[in-house]
Amino acid sequence: MDAFSEELMGFVQKDNQVEASKDPVPEIHLPWLSQHIQSTGSHGQKGTNFAQTTSICLNFIQEALLKHQWQRASEFLQCYLQTLEDINSQKRQMAPEIIWKLGSTILYNHPKSNVETFSAFADRMKNIGVQNYLKISLQHALYLLHNGMVEDAYRNLNQAESWRYGEMSASQEKLIKLIQAYRGLLDYYTWSKKRTEVSSFDMDGFATNAATQDMHSYFRQASVNLHEIIKIPGVWDTFVKSYVEMLEFYGDQDGARQVLTDYAYDNNFPSNPNAHIYLYKFLKKEKAPEDKLISVLKILHQIVPSHKIMLEFHMLLKKSNKEEHHKLGLEVLLAILDFSGCTENITAWSYLAKYLKQIIKGKHREWVQEGWSSRKDWWPTFHFSYYLAKKNWKENRILALKKAFTSGILLGKVKHQKIILSSGVGRPMFESSFCLLLAE
Amino acid sequence: MDFPDNLFPTFFLPGPPGLSDSPASYLAPAWSDYMQLLKPPQTQDPSINPQHEASYVTKWGRWKSDTPGPLPFLLPGADPWDPELMSQDLLFRGRVKQPARAKATIDVIEQLNHFLWDHGDIAFGPLGMLLQENFNLGEKKKSRKNKMVMNTEWLLRDLNGYQPKGCPWAHLSTRQRRFSLLGGTVLGEEVENLLGGLLHEELETRWKRLLLDEASTGGALGWVPGAKPHHGQLVYPTGRAHDQLNFQKVKLSPTNEPQALGDPSHILLRGPVRQVVTRTIQGEALVAVRSDHHCALWKLEHRGPPEPLQVLEMEKEATGISLSPHLPGELAVCTRSGAVCLWSPQHGLQQIHKDPETFVFKDPSSWRWADFTAHPRVLTVADRTGLRFADARAPSDCGELLFRVGAEASCQRGERVLLAQYLGTPDPLPLSPTLHLVCTQFSLYLLDERLPLVPLLKWNHGLLSPPLLAQLLPPPYPEAPLPLLLGGLGGHLRMLHLSVGSGRTPQLAAPPQSLPSLIDSLPGFPVLEPHGQQLLQERLRAPLTGLAAVVPPGCPSPTMLLFQLSAAGDVFYQRLWLQPDTSSESAGSPSTDHAEDLGLNSHSQTSATSSLGTVSEPSAVSWKPRAVACCRRWLKTLLQVPPTLPSWTPPTFSQHHLRWLKEENKGKVQEGLRAAMAEGRLLLQGDLAPLPPSDPPPAHEPFGTEDKLSERLEASWERKGAIWWDGQRDGSRLPRKRQSREKRRTQLSSSFSSVRSTSDFSDVNSPLPHPPKTPSPLHRMSETSQSLELSQELWVKNIPRERRQTLRDYLAVLPSPDSGNCSIPQFQNPSSQSLSTSEPGKCSVPCSQNPRTQTLFSPLPESYSAFYSQNPNSQSLYSQNPNSQSLYSPEPAFNSVFHSQNSSIQKLPSRHTPSLAGSQPLRKKPRMGF
Repeated sequence: MDAFSEELMGFVQKDNQVEASKDPVPEIHLPWLSQHIQSTGSHGQKGTNFAQTTSICLNFIQEALLKHQWQRASEFLQCYLQTLEDINSQKRQMAPEIIWKLGSTILYNHPKSNVETFSAFADRMKNIGVQNYLKISLQHALYLLHNGMVEDAYRNLNQAESWRYGEMSASQEKLIKLIQAYRGLLDYYTWSKKRTEVSSFDMDGFATNAATQDMHSYFRQASVNLHEIIKIPGVWDTFVKSYVEMLEFYGDQDGARQVLTDYAYDNNFPSNPNAHIYLYKFLKKEKAPEDKLISVLKILHQIVPSHKIMLEFHMLLKKSNKEEHHKLGLEVLLAILDFSGCTENITAWSYLAKYLKQIIKGKHREWVQEGWSSRKDWWPTFHFSYYLAKKNWKENRILALKKAFTSGILLGKVKHQKIILSSGVGRPMFESSFCLLLAE
Repeated sequence: MDFPDNLFPTFFLPGPPGLSDSPASYLAPAWSDYMQLLKPPQTQDPSINPQHEASYVTKWGRWKSDTPGPLPFLLPGADPWDPELMSQDLLFRGRVKQPARAKATIDVIEQLNHFLWDHGDIAFGPLGMLLQENFNLGEKKKSRKNKMVMNTEWLLRDLNGYQPKGCPWAHLSTRQRRFSLLGGTVLGEEVENLLGGLLHEELETRWKRLLLDEASTGGALGWVPGAKPHHGQLVYPTGRAHDQLNFQKVKLSPTNEPQALGDPSHILLRGPVRQVVTRTIQGEALVAVRSDHHCALWKLEHRGPPEPLQVLEMEKEATGISLSPHLPGELAVCTRSGAVCLWSPQHGLQQIHKDPETFVFKDPSSWRWADFTAHPRVLTVADRTGLRFADARAPSDCGELLFRVGAEASCQRGERVLLAQYLGTPDPLPLSPTLHLVCTQFSLYLLDERLPLVPLLKWNHGLLSPPLLAQLLPPPYPEAPLPLLLGGLGGHLRMLHLSVGSGRTPQLAAPPQSLPSLIDSLPGFPVLEPHGQQLLQERLRAPLTGLAAVVPPGCPSPTMLLFQLSAAGDVFYQRLWLQPDTSSESAGSPSTDHAEDLGLNSHSQTSATSSLGTVSEPSAVSWKPRAVACCRRWLKTLLQVPPTLPSWTPPTFSQHHLRWLKEENKGKVQEGLRAAMAEGRLLLQGDLAPLPPSDPPPAHEPFGTEDKLSERLEASWERKGAIWWDGQRDGSRLPRKRQSREKRRTQLSSSFSSVRSTSDFSDVNSPLPHPPKTPSPLHRMSETSQSLELSQELWVKNIPRERRQTLRDYLAVLPSPDSGNCSIPQFQNPSSQSLSTSEPGKCSVPCSQNPRTQTLFSPLPESYSAFYSQNPNSQSLYSQNPNSQSLYSPEPAFNSVFHSQNSSIQKLPSRHTPSLAGSQPLRKKPRMGF
């Protein structure tokens, strides 16, 4: 090979490498592209009549669904069933899923449909195209559950769980886990029913013992399945709550705490505020030391500073002996009031008014200054504007007064109060609060 | 703020989008659309406390509209509008058919060639600059050592001396030859590559914009409520360049249609208005406008004109602007450079985020979007790959992600964020102010900023255009779900009902619903003639660029006014009512009374199935006279708007027809050509030949009672079209035409000197009867040919027998006298024209000497008449001869030149057709009345 060819080959290889090293992320996919292309080449090839009719039929169904014409949609769906025999194997495989989606939506909304019709449809669809068996079973069970038919749903989930078809893909394994978890939840329902029964039994001895045994077996079934699912990252609020309840009942406090701690602090899980709340409530019930509670809520404060439990957190901090907690208490209150959904929260404003008073009394004016410095450029317009003062005064005088008091301290002026004063009506109320302020 | 204490169980599996095996792709609550309506499982036993609730319809009612489609609200503007580039303009699919008519085509190579010749300085200038270092242009040698410098002194001398510029036969010196051989390929390639690259780039940007016009994200229609509860203002751009910002005062009425109060006040801007954002906060009504390189903020006073507050100029194109729902006058602005700024007229600009790279993975799009969150100092920044928080207190480039195109949200491959919107408002909505809406080309996601990355709701919207508009409305009743409107650029509208109580997971309360778009109003307009109908359709199909829903206060039943702005600058509105459901009682008895109306309501396709019985389904409304009158008024104004001139029309002449021109026009053509060349301007149609000597057909008056078109159509339907036409035509033209016909016939006959003397022929010809009003030969073909033969028989007796055959042959090609007035020149043209180019003097060369014409002229009268009866034999006869084909194929082009733009002129060419023996259109399909 001569030098030139070598060089050329080098270039080619380099090019290939460059292409291979490109990001594998595909380009933007626009679903309306095909429409554009079809509109230009109407004389070009179009596909078979079969494909055309089915796609037109699908459009009709979707149109009817969007117009809430369920009857019309159902009639078109009957014609659409021909896609199950599409010669295009890819489309044929997709067909059962599309039909299930459309059909279940129609049956869910159709005024004349009932649970029997839905179940019959679901049972038929499960067996067309084996790939969808698990998904349809799960949705069917959820539908039954939604209608309060727990026993039928349980039977359905049981059947789905025992279903086997060839090698299971990774997603199917996960799906089985979810089905089992739902079955576990239903077991938990039965368990809690038995528990109320047992607690209401006044009998002694054998009957109670048998009932307890029965209950225990449900616990075991449920706990196995629930334990499995909450190990996989996800949002499992209901499952975790039921599992923890059962663990608590049997006195496994450590296990319950472990479950909740993992659910809250595992980094693979999404940052779910509920997980922290569950843990906090559990610890609170357990009468855990306040430091422990504070540390749980401190993390929640970092994630969701606007959560309503932050008011409780503030009280905890206020009660604490540590000075840094006292300082944090102010920050917690200010952070709550940062959010637009909390601007008219009277509790927060009265807490703040009281706490500011206390801080100033405790000679910690620098804490206020610190908290204020990052807010001074926008809080006045956000909370203490003329418009808002008038509005608050009109709608809620107590709120207006609390805000007036706070603004007096924070702004160091009497801006908000002035407005209320100028609106006339508030004079006596304002003066009392102002006197209060002056008395400090 | 309450956080929902029980979320729907979902897997959370990070990963790239489109993992087909990801269980999240079907386990998210969005797997099936009806799943949206299910509630998350509770820890209580559902059999004790069933979750099933009454449906939205039974609980709240149905949203109904007065009209099947939106009605025009304002009269169309004075500026014409033409749809921009369409996919048909850029794409060509399928095989290139041999055009039936000879069309002028653009020869790119030739164009480029001309460009290089005419503008060599532009084409080669940059190249020369590049090569300047390597050429010595006659200066003294600077350094001998530099081998890269070439001396072009002699080359230039050769070029400057006696070289006529542009002459391909000029003398080439060896030096020049060598240079052009060595450098020609390289130099040529450079220019080609450059031009080709630019062309490709331009096409690519146009195509991308066609598929996704991101400039109009957010919408350019705003509503500002006024001081009085029933007053307000619409803010929208109009004008061809969308550069006129209008403020139209509107009066709402609880029961009647909204009224526009007077003419809009307008402000002329220096750029196109892409986005209009309005917000009333703390009693201050603000309007923010985004143009390509400017953003501006106005304050609306209750009286007086809008007061401009500040204008921001940007180097890079601005892609998004939003007004803060918390602090008056605060805005978030983002540009293509990846910078996001917090902007307020008091405090100026504060850059919060700057990252030219996309967040999650690499995407070439530089589109950015910024909006607010529940915290006034925290913004969301969006690009095509996700959404991220940006804190104004501590600017950094790595805030937490709120949404990511990936497996967490079970995104598909190639899915991208198209719109991100903060749904919180200062109004006391029952909604927690932490919700964000994200739209991709496939789905709609609802996210809570307190639970990032996990969508609370996902709905596959299935829109066939980019969803770039969204608006959340207050609930119709205190506890009712909130309507959420979603608008696609193609005019598709969807309404969703979000049930969002505090402490509840946001859910769909009812299956989503489609709302009529502008094109659904087409049946409300009167039917027009095709041109007007097309204009109207194009207008109604114009992209939807703005959406504003208004809830008029004090209505007896909850009402919503939906204003829509199209790219053509039209504002349409529709009134929707929430009516309590009455059909639930009568659900048992199938009602069919509204089945007829279904066809009207839906597209024409669906009317076929309108006979289906419906069970308690939303009934369609019909067009009321008042609505139709409204449409009619609007249309009348629209038709008065002068049409736009097309930006480009293909040249309608080709070289062929120059050869085929009538002789009398030839001198004029040459003059015209010369004049055009001398002036260096384009050759216009007027230079080539006069327009056809007949009157243009009467212009069609769409609203007139005297409709000439329909008269004419009627006449032709009764096979009296030609009579009608003659009646319409100026009678004075006839004699002149006849004269010219005589003249030509004399010329032609002189070529047959061997057959008969000229005078003889004219003698024979003159007594032929000429009916005053001839029916179109197409209509009476058999009759014509018969009469021809008959008349031949009459005088053929006087002719020597040996010449009869020749004469018959001649007559076979000579058209019948009654149809001949136009046809003869056509036939004669090929010979005379081609000859005249070489020897103008001699016109009388016998046709029989020409081998090509001979084959053409050979058909006997039988085959002549057989041709008109569409005999396949005769067809094959003509198509066998390639010469005849090539000879006659330009004819249609000829027609198209002279009769172009006369849509109804087809009647006239039909008189020519008998003589167009080889012309294709005639053979293809029979005309009406044949």
